[in-house]
Amino acid sequence: MATENAADDSAKLQILKDALYEEIRQHGSETRLFTQKDLLDLNIIPNNNVMLLVKVVQGLCNDKLLVGTTNHHAGLAWRWRSREEAKKYLSLPNDETMMVYSIIDEAGADGIWNRTIKNKLNMHESVVKNCIKYLESKGYITAMKNVEHPNKKMYIKASLRPSERATGGPWFTEGELDTAFIQELEGIVFEYIKTKSAYRGSQPQPASAPKRGAIVGELRGTKRAAADITNDDSTAAPSSRNSKSFRTVFLPMPAGYKHYPTVAEIAKFIHDTGITNNTTLGEADIQQLVDVLHYDGLIEPVRVNRRKGYRVTRAMRQDTVPFHKRQKDREAGIGLDQPLVVGAEPLSNALTEAPCGRCPVFDLCEEGGPVSPSNCVYFTKWLDLEDVATAAAPVASLPP
Amino acid sequence: MQVTKPVAELCTLLVDELHGELPSRIFSTLVNKGRSTLPQLAQYTSMTPRQLRHGLAVLVQHNLLYHHLDPGAEFAFYEANVEHAYNLVRTGKILEMVDTSFGPAAKDVMQSLLLSGQTRIGDLLAAYQAKIEQANKKVGTNDTEEFDGEANGVNDDSKNEPVVKSTAHLNSILCRLIEAELIDVVHDKTFESPADVLKIVEKEVMDKYFPNGVKGNKAKAEFQQRIAEGLRKVRDESKSLKRKLEQNGSAAKRRKLFSGLGVATNGSGAQQDEEMDPALDPKQVIRVNYEKCLVDLRNRRLVQFATDMFGETTAYVYGILLKLLTKDIPRCRLDPVLDSVDDDDDDDSKKKGPGVVTTDQILDNLKTSVDLSLGIGKAERHQISSRAANKVQTHPPKKKRLIAEAEVDGEASEDEKEDDESSEGSDYDSNYEETKPNGASGINGANGVTHERRMDRPTQLRQHLMLLAESTQNFVRHCGPNEWTVDFEPVMKALREAELDSVIERTSGRQGLRLVRILRAKGKLDEKALPNVALMRKSELQQKMLEMQTAGFVHVQEVPRDVKADVKKSFFLWYCDVEKSLSRLLETSYVTMLHCLQVLEALRRKEKDVLQTTKRTDVRGREKDAMRKEYYERYARFLACERKLFAQVMRLDDLVSVLRDF
Repeated sequence: MATENAADDSAKLQILKDALYEEIRQHGSETRLFTQKDLLDLNIIPNNNVMLLVKVVQGLCNDKLLVGTTNHHAGLAWRWRSREEAKKYLSLPNDETMMVYSIIDEAGADGIWNRTIKNKLNMHESVVKNCIKYLESKGYITAMKNVEHPNKKMYIKASLRPSERATGGPWFTEGELDTAFIQELEGIVFEYIKTKSAYRGSQPQPASAPKRGAIVGELRGTKRAAADITNDDSTAAPSSRNSKSFRTVFLPMPAGYKHYPTVAEIAKFIHDTGITNNTTLGEADIQQLVDVLHYDGLIEPVRVNRRKGYRVTRAMRQDTVPFHKRQKDREAGIGLDQPLVVGAEPLSNALTEAPCGRCPVFDLCEEGGPVSPSNCVYFTKWLDLEDVATAAAPVASLPP
Repeated sequence: MQVTKPVAELCTLLVDELHGELPSRIFSTLVNKGRSTLPQLAQYTSMTPRQLRHGLAVLVQHNLLYHHLDPGAEFAFYEANVEHAYNLVRTGKILEMVDTSFGPAAKDVMQSLLLSGQTRIGDLLAAYQAKIEQANKKVGTNDTEEFDGEANGVNDDSKNEPVVKSTAHLNSILCRLIEAELIDVVHDKTFESPADVLKIVEKEVMDKYFPNGVKGNKAKAEFQQRIAEGLRKVRDESKSLKRKLEQNGSAAKRRKLFSGLGVATNGSGAQQDEEMDPALDPKQVIRVNYEKCLVDLRNRRLVQFATDMFGETTAYVYGILLKLLTKDIPRCRLDPVLDSVDDDDDDDSKKKGPGVVTTDQILDNLKTSVDLSLGIGKAERHQISSRAANKVQTHPPKKKRLIAEAEVDGEASEDEKEDDESSEGSDYDSNYEETKPNGASGINGANGVTHERRMDRPTQLRQHLMLLAESTQNFVRHCGPNEWTVDFEPVMKALREAELDSVIERTSGRQGLRLVRILRAKGKLDEKALPNVALMRKSELQQKMLEMQTAGFVHVQEVPRDVKADVKKSFFLWYCDVEKSLSRLLETSYVTMLHCLQVLEALRRKEKDVLQTTKRTDVRGREKDAMRKEYYERYARFLACERKLFAQVMRLDDLVSVLRDF
């Protein structure tokens, strides 16, 4: 009778277990925590019998279908686990392996360092090692690399993909920053912004345009006599209007231009072209890229009304070779030494051109010191006196 | 101006270059030892008082020296005027500037003035009189030569025919230059150092208004104000000639009267003009006013900056705007004591800002040969938000403390203004697809809508101005409908930053620039956070940062996590102090200039024998024929190097001016 009763009980318990498990699964994802009250409110356990609930939950926990956790707000709580996962747990040979597996499981997509496993479980290293070996051989877990800690040996559940934080987002390939990819993409984004934010027009050669020290205008601008004006027009005007030497340049857009490309548009363009076939780039990623270009001084943000677009800086100085042509050249091996992002030639000033501006011993250089302006080799080279220094010596000995 | 070791050496070399060794030795002693009396100088330099007097006279003549005699004292104190010594390097630039804006004759006058230092007008007149007479005599005896001179064109005629044709012409030139404030009057206070002037004025004010001492805040404020007034009076003294000229009615006004009658204003027709100018008092002593010259040089630099950023046509418009705007600006940087107190006075528009220029004024001054349709892209009318383009900013931008904060600030104000434009904003999305091919193909620009594109000249001009106003560098502020002004401080800040950036980019590459600009935008940043923002490999980044730290472009701060200050656990915060980098850049520029001059010095030593030959009277002037071939080649090469080095020094001065003076 007692045995029958027990069998009957266990059968009933099994039914209750199944019913409760199914009901829990209906009520939320794997991450949701259920408290005791939540479970009772599911109306599976008759008469809200707490003892029975304990039994059922214990049974489910033994089957690894429920995981007990302690939560700060609600106290003891449970979340459910899928049957396949539970099966994996149950197939493990011993408790140690199970504990190791559960700890890796909990770490989720971020993965976990093997030292952390050891410290958390307070187990001997060899035991942990054995467990990991077993789990790896079963194909339950895999080793992974984290970009933030490239030297740490980390493990992750085999069924999961490492999280963004661990892989570093779309810019990383196998834990390494993919600079080639980034540069290529920067080039494309820059080209897009360049063509969208500047006007491709032609301009007469600068010879006919006013020269750069352009305050040339005499003081007499307003007081010019009529004869002077006609004279002026007949000589200077044709040179600027009918001159045949035109060159293609990018011109800045008039103020208030409303169609400077925004980040959203750039992202859409990148998406539509499908250049990045196996990585998806969100707007935030493109924003990062655009920011870098901005910091490089190649583009600048413009705010027209409430639209934040980007435009190329120093449009007139930009290279007008179309992108596809440059790409073709590159394939043919021409211009490989040029950067992928071809911006305008950086401004220069006297300091960067004089030898001193880039001299490695600038701080030591002083008259009377071991390195001094009078024996400076860089200056000799800069002034084109290199050959003279050797050639002049014998000449100097000749009498005048 | 801070006098550091390189500056002192540089100025000494410059004095040596232009005025010879004796003055330069005295100058160097004065710079190194500070204020000295004649006996002290004799002791320092072990020269005889006679020699010293000679040297000092030259220095005083060129305003390279201040002197001060305390009442009742036996000896005067001498003090080096380092600013003016440095200004010697700008001689060439100033001459070129005068040449382009006032013509070759004015350049000639300016050159004589720069060569002879402060001069009495009478002496200048006499010198030119002699020159003109000599030239006339030559012309009279030798007709062919004159013919040659004319055939050669205008550049060459200084030898055969003086650029200044008569003393009346000279007088008129001087009047022009004085009106432009490029020349001012020397008075006894110009020989006192600013500190002495301040002391004198202070004493005067004390004696006159506060015989019992200054007590209380109110009295202190009044005291300050009186001092400022006194200083201003001293400063205005050098403008006495200009004021006198203005009382007679300025040349511009007089010319306006004539232009109605169709009188040509330059060349032969200028005769009337010259006669109109009042003869200047021959006893007045005049000198070059470097402060005003700097204003004009700054305009040139800004125009060049605009050329780099936009293009020639826009920059040309900008140049005209600047010229009109700075006509009445006496100096680049306002003096904190002299110019601040004016605020409570009535005419704040004149003192506080550079005033405004209207579109029409600019239009009147543009050369008719300039095609304003160049330099700006074309866009359909509906692609342009005229409201955004025409936005008027009545007030100069506020001083920005934190960049991030300022950005947010800007957004907010813009949002307020343009809330009502949402309807316009919404429709551009719909037509965006159709208008897409605007810039990419250029087809749109070539055909079709050309009739609409033909804008009249004022509109074209406005386009250039609005482009300048929209720029991130704040070239121009649209301060009222059709009124434009320039806030020099932010523009110069942008220019300084651009100079720094170009140095960084040239020395540390684009990635270096990227890192610096990130730090500038974000403030202090932990070493670990940088790679994510810069999208750079950690190792590369660290190397670059170290490189730039040694160059002084970025700085690092170590913040310990706990009291033990374990290096491994500390935070390392990178930051970038623009001011610090700029001052280092300035110092580097001085040293580089110094090095250039020293290299030249070394070259001269090396080629001593050749140079001595060229000094012989039978060789001078016909070096090519008189010297042996190798010798002449060496000489020519030396001259080329000298030119190169001087040009380099000049260009370095461009940088120094931007960093220090503008």
